[in-house]
Amino acid sequence: MTLMGEKLATIGPEMVLSVGALLCLFLGLARSARVRHATPLIAGVSLVLCIVGPMAWSAARPAAPGEIALVLGLAATPMAAFLKITIASIGLLLLLVSYRTPDQLPQNIEIERSGAAFDPGQTTRGEFFAFFLMSLAGAMLCAGADGLVWLFLALELTSLPTYIMLVTTRQSTLAREATVKYFFLGALAVAMFLYGFTLIYGATGVTQLYTTPVTEGLATVQSVVAEWRQEGQPLPLMLLVGMGLAILGISFKIAAVPMHLYTADVYQGATTPMTAFLAFVPKTAGFASLVLLLGTLGWPLPEPIAAMLWIMAVLTMTVGNVLGLMQTSVKRALAYSSIAHSGYMLVGLLAGSAAMEAGQPVVASGIAGILFYLVAYGVANLASFGVLGCLKRQGEEAETYQDISGLHHRHPWLAAIMLISLLSLIGLPPLVGFLGKIYLFAPAFFTGEPAMIWLVVIALINSAISAVYYLRIAAAIYFGQPSEEVERDEQTARMTGSGIAATAAVVLGLGAGALGLTDMLAKAADQPGKVLIQPADTDGDEAASEDRSNIPSATAGRN
Amino acid sequence: MLTLATASEFSHYVPLAVLLVMALIFGVANLVLTHVIGPSRKGKVKGTTYESGVNPIGTARRRFNVRFYIVAMTFLLFDVEIVFLYPWASVFSSLAEDSGLTPVFLGRCLFFILTSIIAFAYAWRKGVFRYD
Repeated sequence: MTLMGEKLATIGPEMVLSVGALLCLFLGLARSARVRHATPLIAGVSLVLCIVGPMAWSAARPAAPGEIALVLGLAATPMAAFLKITIASIGLLLLLVSYRTPDQLPQNIEIERSGAAFDPGQTTRGEFFAFFLMSLAGAMLCAGADGLVWLFLALELTSLPTYIMLVTTRQSTLAREATVKYFFLGALAVAMFLYGFTLIYGATGVTQLYTTPVTEGLATVQSVVAEWRQEGQPLPLMLLVGMGLAILGISFKIAAVPMHLYTADVYQGATTPMTAFLAFVPKTAGFASLVLLLGTLGWPLPEPIAAMLWIMAVLTMTVGNVLGLMQTSVKRALAYSSIAHSGYMLVGLLAGSAAMEAGQPVVASGIAGILFYLVAYGVANLASFGVLGCLKRQGEEAETYQDISGLHHRHPWLAAIMLISLLSLIGLPPLVGFLGKIYLFAPAFFTGEPAMIWLVVIALINSAISAVYYLRIAAAIYFGQPSEEVERDEQTARMTGSGIAATAAVVLGLGAGALGLTDMLAKAADQPGKVLIQPADTDGDEAASEDRSNIPSATAGRN
Repeated sequence: MLTLATASEFSHYVPLAVLLVMALIFGVANLVLTHVIGPSRKGKVKGTTYESGVNPIGTARRRFNVRFYIVAMTFLLFDVEIVFLYPWASVFSSLAEDSGLTPVFLGRCLFFILTSIIAFAYAWRKGVFRYD
């Protein structure tokens, strides 16, 4: 296999998802209604295949010496492999939660009712699942990015479909308002981080972030920075400003202060399953990008960047939790909780691998903390929004505290799922949120710097504040008067999806170590951009050396 | 590798000069021919500035037919396709023959064209090209 072919092999899951997306797009307009209704099934199958397929493929064809050693056949780096599995699994749950969404749209119901006169111009079912898969593929690409151009395109692939999904899944002025806000602020954020990327390129002269076998021996942002640091030179202002702008722009994706302003309105305007999607997918893509970008600088981060992240983390946690307290809508409260959780994850980003390199245990890597917390937040967030999505008040989506009041008396299972997810979001043992917070805050604590320890103290105070509004939701569910107007929507799949997520919150909380998750995290957190190469053995590397000999001719021809 | 030409060798600029002359002839010939052959009917409406069928005088804040956007997007589809095909074509001919990369590169480009075809078929099925 050639080297370019090897690079292609590192994005196996994304390719499967893209083919699935094209199929959904195409078959969503089929003449037969049965084929049209099979699109969610195609989406589900491609989500399973995107992990199982490349794994089986790489098991059948192990890497030759000198080739990229694919991690589980999914990606070139352990972090990307971990994130791809996470994104596919939570994507599957998100699909369960949201697969009825296009069917519930008035215009789609109308089209199906009219039967023979199917108008392809009016339906949006196939598009919903196609964009769903494309956005997930974009998030996966972010995790595996090794260059600024790739990273930019991957971030765009993650967000562009969400704008369309947002406006097509709900017919209301709220959704349209949300989309316009999300789109224009998103464009502003893109402009910011793209400008940041150009400054990084200007300062270092390269767009490649990390070394891969294809770019062996060429300079990368990481190697240039490492050289500067080794020579004791201060990092150029241009690089720092570029990184700062990139962080600010990407903080839109993760909903962190100062780019958080859209969050509550957009999460409220979106239909509830879509909100669950927005709270997980762009956040994952954003944090993967931030880890990869800051990984080129190495931990401990340079002073100005660290100071900026410190302020952002404090503001994000505090703004999220304090404004969360004041909300009358459960959906908005959960939106502010999403902001606050980004603040917690910024603590892990700030700590990075600093403490781990000082010889502390695995728990001491902030990157492992972020990766684990993405899972922890992902399942809890999905369960809570899934439960909200199961409730209707007079045909409208439930969202106020009155709507969920007394839920326990009418639907004890939904209430239990909600309770588990809320307790996990607070971070109470034995749920996954507790373990997640330990993984996030311990690395910051282990660095031993006063600023970091203060940050942990502020984060803990914030966790206590957040308990107030999470428990207010729980109190409304368990002690409130049931409202007659609110009824359960017949949503077996949605309930199953949130049920599985809540179960995962308990299981992962109890047995993350037993499931081998911590080992995987330890590998993933060790140098985020490091590509593993299959070590050469004595026999059978003839084929590999033959492959190598092709590269000079191929590249020389291009120049 | 390109061999660098010395400054005195202008011979490889000849195609460029031919192109320039042809472009000039084409432009001038068109103007002259339409003037000579074409019927000349003048009118107030015909004399106004052409602005994609929209009245050019008056407020700019008016409603456009949404079809303009759809046509523009379909145009983008093919525009982007061409933009990507150019670098591909220029690299393809310089691939080393024994590298075994040619089928990979061809396959990749065919897949890319396939995605554009799917997009085109999708637009067709959506009724983008139906003008009524």
